[in-house]
Amino acid sequence: MSHTSVAAKRLFIEYRALTTDALDGIAAGPVSEDDLFLWEALIQGPGGTPFEGGVFPAELRFPKDYPLAPPQMRFTCEIWHPNVYPNGNVCISILHAPGEDPNHYEKAEERWSPIQSVEKILISVMSMLAEPNDESPANVDAARMWRERRGEYERVVRESVRRSLGL
Amino acid sequence: MSDQQQSFSLPQLAVLLVIGFLVLRWILWPSDRNAQRPPGWSNTRTRGVNPAHVEQIAQMFPQLSRRDIIWDLQRNGGNVGETTERVLSGRGLEVPPPTFQPPLAAPSPQAASANPSDPKLPAQPDLITRYNLASKLATAPEDAQSDLGQKSGWSHNKEERQRLLQKRREEMILAARRRLEAKG
Repeated sequence: MSHTSVAAKRLFIEYRALTTDALDGIAAGPVSEDDLFLWEALIQGPGGTPFEGGVFPAELRFPKDYPLAPPQMRFTCEIWHPNVYPNGNVCISILHAPGEDPNHYEKAEERWSPIQSVEKILISVMSMLAEPNDESPANVDAARMWRERRGEYERVVRESVRRSLGL
Repeated sequence: MSDQQQSFSLPQLAVLLVIGFLVLRWILWPSDRNAQRPPGWSNTRTRGVNPAHVEQIAQMFPQLSRRDIIWDLQRNGGNVGETTERVLSGRGLEVPPPTFQPPLAAPSPQAASANPSDPKLPAQPDLITRYNLASKLATAPEDAQSDLGQKSGWSHNKEERQRLLQKRREEMILAARRRLEAKG
């Protein structure tokens, strides 16, 4: 069986699981079933954080050898967060293949492996929104603001949440 | 007195020179030998084997030796899936011949995060505009609410599935907008 069909099969199974047992605050699936390797996910901002009330769209691009290699995840909206690059790319350990550790601190079990899943990625991203990881700043300015001027950071995030919903 | 001192210091100087020479040689010699090893190693061929793939498999199956992994990948044309399946099926990897000496380099710090320097995301329109929800925002939320019950449905029809997912997305955005609006 070729890589592509293994990957597509697995992605379809994950899609079905995420639909029948939908996670609270997450809507995820392929943009079109004609291409199972490109997904769109909507993630609700976790309660009790400045992201609360917001909805954040992101795209997931899966490699042809998924689940051997992890997908790439990128927010397609403005998001002011220490672990999200200004271009929207998400930087968390579960999205890094075992061989690559750009930060040289991640534990192997936190990183991508075939036993992880889209569901686990989305849950990790939700908790990342709630608790930024100061060790791997992808957005240095946001990280500094989060560390040194928490009030301002929260205000910037709240404002962008309102703006993103057209308010 | 001064004569005696000078004749004393000459042999000392000679000894110092000899010791200095030996120390220099000692310092230079091992680095010479180190420098000679790698070329012999890196010259061995590992055609078609991507070090990242080797690393990937090695992380999945820490019990395997990298040499066995490289050997298997080289023989199946660098097919990670095939090697993985072979290990998972319990067949195990073949032991390479002793002459097979691939360069067992430490995992290179790849340009793993090639993404950071990408240009900044251009300003995005708000979600209501992006998902074309302005008209739905105006309609009363009642009927929309009643549909929420089927949000976890899985249809066997492809188009229907697509439609349900789209609906879930729209509902999520509309609900968020209404909540935020109510908060003022």
